[in-house]
Amino acid sequence: MGEPILEVKDLKVHFPTPDGVVKAVDGLTFTVHRGETFGIVGESGSGKSVTCLTALGLIKRESAQISGEVLFEGHDLLKLSNEDLRPIRGKGLSMIFQDPFACLHPFYRVGDQIIEAIQCHDSCDKNEAKNRTIGLLDAVGIPQPDDRIRDYPHQFSGGMRQRAMIAMALAHNPSLLIADEPTTALDVTVQAQILELIDHIKQEFNIGVILITHDLGVVADVAQSVMVMYAGRAVEYGSRDEVFSGPLHPYTWGLLESIPNIDRKGGRLVPIEGAPPSLIRVPTGCAFNPRCPHRFDPCDKDRPELLDRGGGHPEACHLRIEDKKRLWNEREAGRVEVAS
Amino acid sequence: MSRAASTNEPTTDTPPEDIAKSSKAVGEPLVTVENLTKRFPIKKGIIFQREVAAVHAVEDVSFAIYPGETLGLVGESGCGKSTTARVLLKLIEPTSGKITFEGEDITNLNKRQMRPMRRQAQMMFQDPYASLNPRQTIGQIIGAPFRIHKMSGEAKPKVQELMERVGLNPEHYNRYAHEFSGGQRQRIGVARALALRPKLIVCDEPVSALDVSIQAQVLNLFEDLQGEFGLTYLFISHDLGVVRHISDRIAVMYLGHVVEVATADELYNNPKHPYTAALLSAVPKGKVGAQVTTRTVLTGDVPSPVNPPSGCPFHPRCPKARQVAGGEGVPENCRDDLPPLGEVVDNHHAACWYPVEETEELAKAAHA
Repeated sequence: MGEPILEVKDLKVHFPTPDGVVKAVDGLTFTVHRGETFGIVGESGSGKSVTCLTALGLIKRESAQISGEVLFEGHDLLKLSNEDLRPIRGKGLSMIFQDPFACLHPFYRVGDQIIEAIQCHDSCDKNEAKNRTIGLLDAVGIPQPDDRIRDYPHQFSGGMRQRAMIAMALAHNPSLLIADEPTTALDVTVQAQILELIDHIKQEFNIGVILITHDLGVVADVAQSVMVMYAGRAVEYGSRDEVFSGPLHPYTWGLLESIPNIDRKGGRLVPIEGAPPSLIRVPTGCAFNPRCPHRFDPCDKDRPELLDRGGGHPEACHLRIEDKKRLWNEREAGRVEVAS
Repeated sequence: MSRAASTNEPTTDTPPEDIAKSSKAVGEPLVTVENLTKRFPIKKGIIFQREVAAVHAVEDVSFAIYPGETLGLVGESGCGKSTTARVLLKLIEPTSGKITFEGEDITNLNKRQMRPMRRQAQMMFQDPYASLNPRQTIGQIIGAPFRIHKMSGEAKPKVQELMERVGLNPEHYNRYAHEFSGGQRQRIGVARALALRPKLIVCDEPVSALDVSIQAQVLNLFEDLQGEFGLTYLFISHDLGVVRHISDRIAVMYLGHVVEVATADELYNNPKHPYTAALLSAVPKGKVGAQVTTRTVLTGDVPSPVNPPSGCPFHPRCPKARQVAGGEGVPENCRDDLPPLGEVVDNHHAACWYPVEETEELAKAAHA
C-alpha cells in the first residue's frame, strides 16, 4: 500500500431541519492510501454518500453544519473556498455517480461532454482535447471511439454510459477516484465488466479508489480495506480479510448473514430485526442497540468508540473480544449445520 | 435455415409440464404456458400507421408451475421476465401461445370471464413506493380486493387479520402509505395480494428495492406464507442469490427465450447453458478465501430485442461457441439454427447446441 492520499478526521455533517437535526455523518475518521480500493458499506441512510459529497464540497455549506478535517494533498478541503476547490475537484479528486442515466446531459454529445471536462482544467485547443477524449474512451473499452464520440447519451447502453462517466472522471489522471454505487443500476454481467475496469485503472495509474456500495459481495471481491457504517458512524474498519473472515461487530454479522448464499441453498435467513433508525432520533448509546441480539448493560447508555479492543482491527461494540469471537464462531457453526 | 422459419416451429418436443420437474411436481400443474410469444409492434406514420418492426419481448416460452412450488425466473433487464409474468396473468394479451390455469384454457377469455380466475392469481410489484395509492389508507388498499370482488360482510376485521399476519400493527389501519418504510410497504403489498386467498402469487422483483437486512425479513415472510397457505409462486428477480434461496426450480431467460430450466441446486452446481454459466460466474461471491474461479466476463451488451440475432440468441456473446469454433467466428448451427430446449442430463433442460460440461471452465473471453 502506498502513501495516504485522503485523510478524513472526525468528520461531522449535520443538517438542521424543522423536525430536528439530521446527523447524517457523526464523527468519522479514515484514511485512503494510494493503490488501494477502500470499500464503504452500509444500508441506505447510513451516511456513505454524504461523506463523499462533503469531501468534494458538493454539500452546500449554508445548509449543513460541517466540522472535522478532510486532508487531500496537504489541503483541508473543508476550509477551501469554492474558487480554491475548483482546481482540485475533477482534477486530483474525481467521482463516478450511481446513475449513469442521470449524469450525462441528454442534449449534448458524449464526446463534447468529455471535451468540456478536459478543457475545464487544461487550456488545450479543441482538437487536442478531442484526441484525448478518443484515447480515454478507448482506454475504458468503448469500441470505435472516434465514431462514438459523436453519439448522444441515449445511443449508449447503461454499461457504456458508465464507461463514459469513468472516462470523464479519468480525464486529468486523478489521484483519488470516488465511485458511489457505480454498479447498482447495472446487470450482473455488466457489473463484472465495470468492476474489472475500475480495478484495472487503479493498478495502471496507481490511484486510490473509494468504492461506496451496499453490496457486500462487491466489496469482498475488489476492496482491500473495508469500513462498515451504521447511522452515520463507522462500526467496523479493517482490511478486507479481517472484516470478512473475522467480523467483530454484531451489525456486520447481521449483514453477512442476511444475504442469501449463491453457493448453496441455505436454511432460513437470519434477518436483522427492526429497521434502521431515524437519523434525527438516533438511539442513545450504541445506535445499533435496539436491533442487536447481544445487547447488555452499557449498550443503551455509553456510545462505544471505534477502537481496537484486541481483535486486530478497530470496531465499535461493548462486548468483550473473547465473547465476540465465541459468538461469531457459534453463529457460523449454526449456519453450516442448517445448510448441511 | 432462416430465422423466420426456425421460430415458427415449436422449439421443444417436451410438453411444458415435463420440463425439469422438481420434487414438488405432483398431480396436475396449476399453470401451464405453451409456446407463449409476445411481440410489441413498433408503428410509424401519423394517420395510416403501419408496423415497421416489433420488439420480440417473449419468444416461444413454455413452462408449467405445480401447486405449492416456487418457480424462479432470472435474467438481465430487458430479457422478458416481467412481460412473461404479465402475459401469464393476461394483463397483456399474448401474440400467440396458450395459457392454462387449473386445467382451463384462459388464453381467449375476455375481461369479465377472467374475473373468477383473478381471485386465484395475484401479483406483487417491485416498487413499494409506486404500487400503493398515496391517497388511500392502508385499510382501503388492503380492503380493495374485497370491494372489487363484492365480497359480503365487514372487511375491516379481515384486513386487520391480514395486517397482523404479515407483521404490521393492525392499529395502523387508518394510516397512509407514506407513513411506512420500504419494508413495511412491501408487507402491505403482500397483505393485498393475499387478501382473497389466491393459489398463485406472481412476484415481480419484490425485494430488489429493499436493503439487505429488510430483504431477509421479507423473504422469510414469503416462505412462511407459502407453508401456511400452500401458495404457489412465480418469483422474478435479477438477484441470483435471492432466486436460489427461494426457488424450487429456476428458468433462465435471455432475449425473450427460456434458455435453461432445472431445479435450483442442479442449475447452480451444474449450469449447462453458457449464458447461465457466465451469469453465475459474474456474481461477486462475497467471501474471502473462496476458491478463485475464473470469472467469465461477457463482452458487449445484450442485443436489441427489435433485431434479435439469428440462430441462438446468445451466439454473438457466447464464449463456448467461440471455443468450439477454435477462435474463428462461431459454429454454423449456432449462427443459423435456434437450439431447442432439450433434456441435456436427467431432468435438466437447456437450449444449446454445445452444452457446458460439468468439469469445464469457460475460457475468459478477451476484452473487445
